[in-house]
Amino acid sequence: MITTTVTIEDPIGLHARPAGQIVKLVKESGLTVRMGKAGEDLVLANSPLRMMALKAKTGEQMVVEVETDDQAVADALFAQIKDFLKG
Amino acid sequence: MVTLASGTILTGLGVGLNAVRGEVFRVKPQATLPGPAKHAGDAAGEKETLRGAIHHVAGYLDELSVKAGETSAEIFEALKMLLEDEDLFETAIAEIESGWNAATAFIVAVDSLDAIFAGDAAFEERLVDLKDLARRVAAHISGIHMGLDLPTTGSYVIVGDDFSPADTAQFTDAVVGVVTIKGGPTSHTAIICRSRSIPALVCCPQAVDLVDGMQVLVDPVGDRVVVGGDASMATKAISFVAKSLDPIIPVRANIGSLEDSIQAATTAANGVGLFRTELLYLSETTMPPATKQAKSYAEILKAAPEGPIVVRTIDAGSDKPVPFLDMPHEENPALGIRGFRLIQDHRQFLIDQLESLEVARKETGREVWVMAPMIATASEAIEFAELARGSGDYKVGIMVETPAIAMALADLAGKLDFISVGTNDLSQYLFAADRMNAGLGALLNPWQPALVRMLQVIASESEKAGISSGVCGESASDPAFAVVLAGLGFNSVSASRSQVGAVRSALSAVTLEQAQEVAKVALAATTADQCKSAVLDALATLA
Repeated sequence: MITTTVTIEDPIGLHARPAGQIVKLVKESGLTVRMGKAGEDLVLANSPLRMMALKAKTGEQMVVEVETDDQAVADALFAQIKDFLKG
Repeated sequence: MVTLASGTILTGLGVGLNAVRGEVFRVKPQATLPGPAKHAGDAAGEKETLRGAIHHVAGYLDELSVKAGETSAEIFEALKMLLEDEDLFETAIAEIESGWNAATAFIVAVDSLDAIFAGDAAFEERLVDLKDLARRVAAHISGIHMGLDLPTTGSYVIVGDDFSPADTAQFTDAVVGVVTIKGGPTSHTAIICRSRSIPALVCCPQAVDLVDGMQVLVDPVGDRVVVGGDASMATKAISFVAKSLDPIIPVRANIGSLEDSIQAATTAANGVGLFRTELLYLSETTMPPATKQAKSYAEILKAAPEGPIVVRTIDAGSDKPVPFLDMPHEENPALGIRGFRLIQDHRQFLIDQLESLEVARKETGREVWVMAPMIATASEAIEFAELARGSGDYKVGIMVETPAIAMALADLAGKLDFISVGTNDLSQYLFAADRMNAGLGALLNPWQPALVRMLQVIASESEKAGISSGVCGESASDPAFAVVLAGLGFNSVSASRSQVGAVRSALSAVTLEQAQEVAKVALAATTADQCKSAVLDALATLA
């Protein structure tokens, strides 16, 4: 299990487009990924609506957790998620 | 149903300059979906039905995505992800298991999202889209077709209530003309038809009586459709023959970006009458530093056509929010904290804007005028004037868009150098008619007598107060209306780039005295239709 924290830079927050991009990425990777606001429960990142329901806003910190032991795989995934959250 | 005899004339608001003849193709009103219902006991079958219907609608989104091209494709892609969302499907399955049929279950599942996303503007919009998709899923299950089913060959004039972006994306090459029952001069249909050069007539209530198979002439210059009409009946646009080298009042150009500025410099525009600055900020996620702002302004000022450049300070509101400024959701954004009212919470932003512009002004040596939008009282105008004079060497003015400030111009003598009328917003506020409402196009027609008379008050009050007056709204791009504006006493007009030449020709074809006569004709009219036709008649005798 590898965890990181990312900041939402998208001016509209975690809206439909980034949520969809993340879910698509997660599904294509075949990995189990959970996300949530820092300090709150994490949810499975396989449903864009569930991710949007987190109502994460611009500037908020998100915890991303991926079920793998491969640091390189996790880092690649984190980098793409960060990119999606830039808006 | 009334049968329309050949030669019957239906009136509305024309879009475009060329007439076209075609066969009427009525877009069918959408069939109503069956109400909520239980299934007969085959839950597994209902699940498969739902899966199939979602798959079908996802395919439809793929089609739209391909048609829309790269920029909008992302939107359709995101919508497809929402439509195929696993949680949503699970919620619908639970509804099927509790007895609802597939169509009802999916609609209930989407409706259940209301509680989660209510009150969040960005998500609510997606929810509206998702609800539309849920209806499509239900329609597919019930065997109801929801597309426009437009013919692909032949020459058709399509007739409908109004067309949404999803509708206009389906227009085929066989669509040679468009008639809408609702909609106005700034409706989506009008904008699309103008950009694709499809002759159109919007806001034509009598079009409800047009039926499939009729031959009609769409005559946008005449603001009419002629049943059974042919090309020989098309109204010709008045061709103004310039009688003098210069127009009777300066014609400036409207710009919003560097590209606009470069393009405007290729026209005969005398400077810029409206530089919309918000475009520089809407795409920024953080406040651009003063040096970056100054650089953008300098590039645009340098490229602009010769003459003064009238810069409007930021005109944003909660309906077009600037990402890095806090603009809370409002019930009525058009009546909310927008334009100069942003100074309440964002004074420093406005000061930075004016100071960056001053750096650009000094660097380029251009003559810069600044004005603030959405001013309602003389004290707001004076507050802006003091702020602007403290920030740079500008001529200072305001936009006149509210009826309130139109009644207070006398109080501004000696305080302002100029005013500029935004006729689109002035119409919206004068007639209490939402510019975004497709059903109110007729009230937003610039030929409405009350608007023309209010413009006369503004021009004469400005003159008495020693303030130069101009018009930069959409109406100033109409050559005939521009003549009326000159006749009413305005000192300049500013038109969209593509219309600068046509407006200049019109204003070079008449003398100031003739324009004043035409304005008198306009002021005497009691309806919008009469106003326009009387002015066109008067101009035709002069030409």
